[in-house]
Amino acid sequence: MVKSSGSLLNRLAFLRGLLLILAVVVAFVYVGFSREVRLGLDLKGGTQLTLQALPTEEVTEITPNVMQGVEAVIQQRINGLGVAEPLVQISGQDRLFVQLPGVADPDRAIALLGDTAQLDFRKGLVPANTLPRNELGEVTAGEEPDALFEHVGLTGDLLRNAYPQAPRRGSQNWEVLLEFKPEGAERFTQLTRDLAGTGRSIGIFLDDVLISAPVVGAEFARTGITGGTAVITGNFSVETANDLAVKLKAGALPARIQVIENRTVGATLGEVSVRRSLYAGIGGIVLVFIFMVAYYRLPGLIADVALLIYALCTFALFQLLGVTMTLPGIAGFILSIGMAVDANVLIFERIKEELREGKSLYKSISEGFNRAFSSILDSNVTTLLVCGVLFWLGVGLVKGFAVTLGIGILVSFFTALTCTRTLLLAAMGIPSLRKPQLYGVRMEVSQS
Amino acid sequence: MTTQEISPTDPTLQVLPQLSYRFDIVRRSKLWFTISLVVLVVGLTSMAFSLASFGTPLRLGLDFSGGTLLDLSFEQPITTEELRQALQEHNLASSVIQLDTNTSQEALIRMPPLSEEERLAVEATIQQKVGPFERNLVETVGPTVGRLLLRSGILAVLISFGLIVVYLTLRFQLDYAVFAILALLHDVVLTMGLFALLGLTVGMEVDSLFVVALLTIIGFSVNDTVVIYDRIRENRRLISRKVSFAEVVNLSLNQTFARSFNTTLTTMLPLIAIAILGGATLKGFAVALLVGFSLGVYSSIFIASPLLVWWRQQRSARIVEDVDADGDPDPLPSEAEG
Repeated sequence: MVKSSGSLLNRLAFLRGLLLILAVVVAFVYVGFSREVRLGLDLKGGTQLTLQALPTEEVTEITPNVMQGVEAVIQQRINGLGVAEPLVQISGQDRLFVQLPGVADPDRAIALLGDTAQLDFRKGLVPANTLPRNELGEVTAGEEPDALFEHVGLTGDLLRNAYPQAPRRGSQNWEVLLEFKPEGAERFTQLTRDLAGTGRSIGIFLDDVLISAPVVGAEFARTGITGGTAVITGNFSVETANDLAVKLKAGALPARIQVIENRTVGATLGEVSVRRSLYAGIGGIVLVFIFMVAYYRLPGLIADVALLIYALCTFALFQLLGVTMTLPGIAGFILSIGMAVDANVLIFERIKEELREGKSLYKSISEGFNRAFSSILDSNVTTLLVCGVLFWLGVGLVKGFAVTLGIGILVSFFTALTCTRTLLLAAMGIPSLRKPQLYGVRMEVSQS
Repeated sequence: MTTQEISPTDPTLQVLPQLSYRFDIVRRSKLWFTISLVVLVVGLTSMAFSLASFGTPLRLGLDFSGGTLLDLSFEQPITTEELRQALQEHNLASSVIQLDTNTSQEALIRMPPLSEEERLAVEATIQQKVGPFERNLVETVGPTVGRLLLRSGILAVLISFGLIVVYLTLRFQLDYAVFAILALLHDVVLTMGLFALLGLTVGMEVDSLFVVALLTIIGFSVNDTVVIYDRIRENRRLISRKVSFAEVVNLSLNQTFARSFNTTLTTMLPLIAIAILGGATLKGFAVALLVGFSLGVYSSIFIASPLLVWWRQQRSARIVEDVDADGDPDPLPSEAEG
């Protein structure tokens, strides 16, 4: 306990405390700010989808196994899109949560993810030139595909790989090159041998839609097409050929899926939101800083320093923990600054009371901290409880808010109790700062 | 701090010279309860009207009701009429269209939930009939997703209440906890009521951020109540039992006024900034928090604490009747009425 102006020993202790705080802050800031800020979809732009798996005739129940299959296929398809930092995760029993930050063409991505992509080579039963055609002159499978084509069990499962292939000379259309596994190659050879020279075509179906119906030349009648590769031709652009190859490579989805939620934010809107929210946040915090100094004088100034340290540490911690900044996250952060101020306000009000009762400055400060502690603890715990519930039950944006508010409260608990205290006591080491009126208390009330 | 023995002559003055206070909150309890009751009735009436006109007590946003929202920025100024005609082709003429009144170039269109193909078809028609645009925002929420969100939101509120009761009972006493929760219910119900009113008058919708706001309000409001309770508990220990509970509460409230006011101010300053300057998504959120925090501070001071006094007075009156003055060291002041 120090009674008077502070012995050399105590000053050294505070100096050490100060240095420790400084070191922690510098370390936090260095680590935190050397990383790039992770912006959420609402700030950066991008697409967030919730996909629901639907039971079909073959897959009558969506089991965890089926969901894992769906997840794997979707993951592979997304990899084919070349999105940076995509997120795919199973949520609930039959849902898949997909985040695609900064996707330029969300519609294409959604189309790519949604198809089951069940590839099926079927054997034509009628001459190719009698097949029905649509208004664009493309061959279709007509009303009853089963009357025109026969299943031969050569499906996408037997594929090893698929690539987009540049147009051949004299054509505009890209193609998709397929590589079969040995069993698939065998069936393909047999299928082509059966069809060669008959005028009937191979029906290449994707999700039961005929996408191409090539005719096999008579020269393959004896051997069939060997080598285990095939080419799908059609009206492909470089993108559609690539997307089909991606789908085929990833394999078919084990269940049908449906987009039940789609939130797509354009990049410009995100940018505007960031700027506006940042301005608002900084503006609000500056006002708080001014208020603290105006009302609490010296302690207010010290609280402002502690708040700055708080803000830096919290931000650095977000970075370290890889918290993604979303709009609600920023709101949570700004609110947590309000909470951090609260702890200081509680302490300073107590200090003022003690001073008014005529206690010494040192005694008042240490009493102020001691007596405010239980209020700070109780109020922080209750808010943390709510944060916990939000984190547990919330999804997406709500979770982000809970995390940022929660971290903020924990850090503020630390900074309000340690930084403010150390700085206040250090300030008391300076004789000219040891005046009650610097603590917002009128002279006549206090005695020395 | 040491508690001194109270001298029989002039107990209060000797122990706590500052037992004089400026505002007698408790004496006017009836006024505060009446104010809250009036706001409550307004809110409940608004909810009833909402229920009659939209089928839900509050105007539910996309998150809960399901639907498709498009935010488009057109290259040229357009009219609502043009858009409606384009939507008519897809039988969506009843959609809600909001056109930015300043530029007439940005449109918000709310439709029933559309599949991806349907939405693309609608966009193509708009492009063709109305003009080229940049798409700022697409939100499609299936109706089942909305229902699930709503359910988990309500669940979150209930669970938070439960946890807070348990914690406060452990740290204080059951009756403190119960009245803290009553004050919270007050804040939540009144906030919802006011938003029902805003929904009816200015078309304010509630989305999933509203649930977040409610939970944050709960956290902050209980925070405020706890600080006051904490002070009441502390004063109860320090001040003679002869001083009535109502006096102690009044004193505690007066001692915590500055803190309540300053904290509310420092929390609200950033919120006001967000409400004015922030992006569209956060505006409603900030307004909900502002309304809720104001109610939270009000209820902590004017509802939770007076209710506690009222309850203790009831109880002590009963105990006096039952036990009579037989020297029982009753923790409750028998001469409570001031």
